[in-house]
Amino acid sequence: MDLRLNNISHAYEELQVLKNIDLDIRQSEIVCIVGPSGCGKSTLLRLIGGLEQPQVGEVQQIGEPPPGSLNPLTYIFQDFALLPWRTVKGNVSLALEDHDLGSKERGRVIDDVLRRTGLAEFGDALPRQLSGGMKQRVAIARALSVRPAVMLMDEPLSALDSQTRELLMGDLIDLWMNEGFTACYVTHNLAEAVRLGHRIVVLSRRPGTCR
Amino acid sequence: MAEDQSSGQADEIKTVPYRGGSFEIRPLGIISPFVFIGLIAFWEFGSRTGFISGLVLPSPTEVFTAFRHAVCASVRFAATADHRLGLRQCARDNCRTCNRSFFCGAGRFVAIGFSHISNPENRPVTIVYYLVWHWRRIEGRNNPVILFGTFFPTVIATYGGVDNVDRNLIRMGQSFGLSWSSIVRKIIFPGALPAILSGCRISASIAIILLVAAEMIGAEFGIGAYILLAGSLFATDQLIAGVAVLSVLGLCFAWVIGRAEKYFLRWRA
Repeated sequence: MDLRLNNISHAYEELQVLKNIDLDIRQSEIVCIVGPSGCGKSTLLRLIGGLEQPQVGEVQQIGEPPPGSLNPLTYIFQDFALLPWRTVKGNVSLALEDHDLGSKERGRVIDDVLRRTGLAEFGDALPRQLSGGMKQRVAIARALSVRPAVMLMDEPLSALDSQTRELLMGDLIDLWMNEGFTACYVTHNLAEAVRLGHRIVVLSRRPGTCR
Repeated sequence: MAEDQSSGQADEIKTVPYRGGSFEIRPLGIISPFVFIGLIAFWEFGSRTGFISGLVLPSPTEVFTAFRHAVCASVRFAATADHRLGLRQCARDNCRTCNRSFFCGAGRFVAIGFSHISNPENRPVTIVYYLVWHWRRIEGRNNPVILFGTFFPTVIATYGGVDNVDRNLIRMGQSFGLSWSSIVRKIIFPGALPAILSGCRISASIAIILLVAAEMIGAEFGIGAYILLAGSLFATDQLIAGVAVLSVLGLCFAWVIGRAEKYFLRWRA
């Protein structure tokens, strides 16, 4: 499944944030979007995933998502967005509870993604008992559990220290080697973009335009 | 001496003073019941030896006797009344004072709902129910007063709690395609629960205050009326027994809500 952005412009009241963005995200490709702060990177990502509607232009989905994908467009957030009242397992389970899976199948999926992200021992821990890097791994596990067609990552490593960042970047690369997921990765860190991205899109200062 | 001279002058060595800790929560253990018992013992001792005037502040034993008499009187009253008739009568009285208002229907509904516990086999339950009923049954309309007094603090606290739920969590729920009801049940409600529970705390204290205040105005039964009557007769033992019952009521509410907070909000700690 590919995504195509057609001539997207967006403004918050008088403030023009994005202008005439054209972009293709092809299957099994990691596209990195870099740019200065406030240039509309996060807004663009919200538009891609359908959490906001662009004022001009449209986001198109080309082809069907692979069968078995529960949530084709899945986000990973900068602040992890874990529910503090649920355990690691409960947080992963949240994404699956609205889908028609038996409790056995759900338990199997949860165990599988926790093992793949190296969290198997921490299934019953609460988010406050985990370090920042592990919290983000939980968020990645949650995203993997719904088998996304495209992962939309909004500065997933920005809230972490540089060592953890290196480790998680390694994890992401391994993951891509194994599964070849498609991703749109927003960051303001050029090193991350160069290391992870197949293609790097640079947004200019506001109003953001592709360069 | 040579060393001192070589390093210039001798510096004093001190450990860095510890400045944290003053806001740490330390469990007090069983100190508080001992302090409480000690205070009561001191009070009893003062009353017995006479340096606390029995007229103004009667001894704890006298207060307890007054409390026992009050309870016995209520139980006798409840046990001798015909339950079913008593309930209907109560509902009818309530209706008359409510001027055929909405609460009349509500009162009758409650009376019918409770008629199954007025079965003589369930007498102990019925007696407890009667105690509560007679404490609340007054000539005025105290139910609406309490309803309005506690409704708005709860609603405002809930509103604030829901408003303060992290928007990112809601956005996360939307991004995973959760249904509206799932987001409300699994994200918004647990997120607002701390505020809802503290709203309940406020409402509980307001409810006790209003209940007593309402019972003090033109009431025949109830703790408020009991205290007011005791005050008018300068029966300080009964007065303090009534106040003690109120304190226990408040403590019970606080304990229940505290347990609820401990259970439902254990993820915070």
